[in-house]
Amino acid sequence: MNEEHISYASRKPILTFAPTKTAPRGDTLVVVFLRGAADVLNMVVPHGEDEYYKLRPALGIPRPDDNKAKAEERAIDLDGFFGFHPLFKPFLPAWQEGHLGIIHACGAPDDSHSHFKSQELMERGVENEHGPASGWIGRHLATLNTNNPSPMRAIALGELPQRSLYGSTPVSTLRSIADFQLRGNETAVLQMQAALSSLYSGNDSLSGLGRETLSILDTLEKIKPATPNSQLPNYPDSTFGRGLREIGSIIKAEIGLEVAAIDLDGWDTHFAQGVQSGQMPRLMQNLADGLAAFHAEMIDHADKLTVVVMTEFGRRAYENASLGTDHGHGGMMMLVSGKLKSTGVFGEWPGLASHQLYGPGDLAVTTDYRDILAEICIKRLNNPAIDKIFPNYSVNMPGLF
Amino acid sequence: MNITRRDFLKLASLVAGSAALSSCAPVYENLARLDFLPLEGEGLGMGVNLQDFALVNRLTFGAGHEDLTRVAQIGIDAWVQEQVEFESVSDERCDLRLRQFDTLDLSANDLFDLSDKIFDDQDKLKIPNELRHATLTRQVYSRRQVYERMVEFWSDHFNISTEKGDCFYLKTVDDREVIRPHSLGFFGDLLWASAHSPAMLVYLDNQSNLKDAPNENYAREVMELHTLGVDGGYTQQDVMELARCLTGWGMKEHFWRGDFEFDADNHDASAKKVLGMNIPAGGLEEAERVILNLGLHTSTATFVARKLCRRFIADEPPAALVSLVAEKFTTTNGDLRAVMQTLFTEGIPHIQPKFKRPVDFIVSALRQLNARTDGGAPLQKYLGRMGQRYFAWPTPDGYPDTSAPWMSNLMPRWQFAMALVQNEIQGTKIDVEHLLEMSGATEIEPFIKWISALLLGASLPDEECKSMASALRSACAGDEISTARVVIAGLLASPAYQWK
Repeated sequence: MNEEHISYASRKPILTFAPTKTAPRGDTLVVVFLRGAADVLNMVVPHGEDEYYKLRPALGIPRPDDNKAKAEERAIDLDGFFGFHPLFKPFLPAWQEGHLGIIHACGAPDDSHSHFKSQELMERGVENEHGPASGWIGRHLATLNTNNPSPMRAIALGELPQRSLYGSTPVSTLRSIADFQLRGNETAVLQMQAALSSLYSGNDSLSGLGRETLSILDTLEKIKPATPNSQLPNYPDSTFGRGLREIGSIIKAEIGLEVAAIDLDGWDTHFAQGVQSGQMPRLMQNLADGLAAFHAEMIDHADKLTVVVMTEFGRRAYENASLGTDHGHGGMMMLVSGKLKSTGVFGEWPGLASHQLYGPGDLAVTTDYRDILAEICIKRLNNPAIDKIFPNYSVNMPGLF
Repeated sequence: MNITRRDFLKLASLVAGSAALSSCAPVYENLARLDFLPLEGEGLGMGVNLQDFALVNRLTFGAGHEDLTRVAQIGIDAWVQEQVEFESVSDERCDLRLRQFDTLDLSANDLFDLSDKIFDDQDKLKIPNELRHATLTRQVYSRRQVYERMVEFWSDHFNISTEKGDCFYLKTVDDREVIRPHSLGFFGDLLWASAHSPAMLVYLDNQSNLKDAPNENYAREVMELHTLGVDGGYTQQDVMELARCLTGWGMKEHFWRGDFEFDADNHDASAKKVLGMNIPAGGLEEAERVILNLGLHTSTATFVARKLCRRFIADEPPAALVSLVAEKFTTTNGDLRAVMQTLFTEGIPHIQPKFKRPVDFIVSALRQLNARTDGGAPLQKYLGRMGQRYFAWPTPDGYPDTSAPWMSNLMPRWQFAMALVQNEIQGTKIDVEHLLEMSGATEIEPFIKWISALLLGASLPDEECKSMASALRSACAGDEISTARVVIAGLLASPAYQWK
């Protein structure tokens, strides 16, 4: 063993990353993933399309002018052709303020109809199982040096980090702000913090991360007491609602958050999914109420905040015999941002006539999800390294910002 | 100590005769004390120098008292040899602890039945959780540390996630019948067993690789990730042809569910050509011929050698070392003991620090502090929050083995350190009073020195010691024992301890 190894037990190597670009950070990005393949045709309803009602005699959401249906059960018209499910009413302000972009018939080329595979490919941002194992957000963070040493640069709400965040960059996984603290009696915690400050005083990158972690601990201490009792907008009392509220607090605390990922599970509605009530309406209510409360709370940050809602694929255009819907293809994305050129339902609508459907009867994909995410990376996150973030994909930005 | 190859071989041969004798240490030496083993020895290095400490730390799941004592007894080279020839090391103490797990020895069919009762959610979790608890138990308590590190290596190399389909119970069988029997055997046998493992065939979709609907997943990964490597010289055509050879390979779904099955009716019987080799129609034997070939291929030797060097030596191992190890692989037909001997002998001078993966971090803390643990759920939760639940990596490439992906969030490591020293992890305990007593320290500084030597192989430099002590004093006055706890937590949480 040569001399330089003698002291390596206490050696602290510096690992160097080589981001392609240094730039100031852009928006804070919040990615909401609807796991299980959301039935987007019942969320943003193509009420101007006769085929929709033929394919969904029981599950269809009544037209906005359908006098046979109760007023509160009809779709809420957005643009004369599409309308929100009535449960999205609380989220209408975002649309009215010009902050909501909906990209319909949006999704990935993969047509495996497999949740596991589709979520994985979409979160990795790759065409098929090859290519980098890291996630698209991980690669975004790894390729852009924002001079931000915060361990809260990226957070994953939940038990484990989302696949999209995998990459050589710090990700903090938390269920709530309370998870980001040292536990023990007060003396022990104070002593531990002092010991850590002393131990993490070096010049190496790990010590830098440690110091940043300590300073965030300090900041979060201060905002923590306000969180449980504060009378913020009406977040739903759900894991999702609480998670969004935590993200809002962390953004406001200004501790270096660039990306937050949060999931809403349970959209795999093969059986009795419900129209006005039931499994899917409950999920829609949770989603709409959460997004509406977050939008209201963060309205002053709207120009520095981009929210993306996505799902691995949509569901079959026609309802099945169990009054549910099977795995489909084309999905939908929602963007919430103060910097959108305008509100609107974007993307080419492929139609629902039988010759227009894809595969076994699915909504076709006319916009690749990567086109949307790439535009966000370039225009809102200051990261032009699209060839690294979405390798082997030729991006065609729709020009929403 | 400067270990040259010649010295190593000389020492190794001298000790070879005595290794068998030394293994006859009293079988039941520790049965009476399943709780805490006594820590003995002078100060911390137990008479072992820093280089040896570092080597033991690298080759094990943390240089524990027992490993260091053994090194002090027989010397580092003999210890390496003994670890590679692991069968001579008795492991009753660990085996006893494994008796609490009901499911480890059950057949696939029995495991499936067990999981298919009324409370299926609970039963479905029981099987993979027992495997996780047993894995942690072995890593902490097995005296066959190098062997267990090899088991870990191959579990990554032949990664299977319990989260996919029937893998939740099949992985238990794979662990028992594929990974563990061959971890220090012949690579070809390991590959052969893995190819016939229902867990692998289900995990990589070969279960749905049928004559009329080929699925290339396993055919591709067995070449890309298990043998040749992505640049190992196969083509898309080879993947498709091997996939056709593998049509009909899967598992039984009805009687004897979970056993390997070759379904001739779903096998594509036409002739194939894989890697330049003509494969006449031959049913099961078609893919078996390719698998034999893959196991001995020179690209496989290089690919496996590089991965082993990355695990045990450095994130970027020198090319010359990789070729030496690959050469040994080739000349011994993949004899992993010979390969590892060469790797350790030749690789030691090239060792570079590696950032501890979460498993390494947690298990090393438990081993070095002489903890008692049942390996249970409250402890496993910390592995999850650090991102390394056992058998839960979704993609077939296995958990990352370089430092960078793991250098992210320190908070769960700090939280683990705090919880461990305060004995707040249910089922896991350390005896801080005993450590304090052992150290003989009456002041903070000497205790910091003692613990840092225990954990890092050398005392913190005076200055860092003083600075830590004064930070502790100025923060808050705690009593002796609670300050001792924070000293241990602080050192576990320190930058230096994240490396091995």
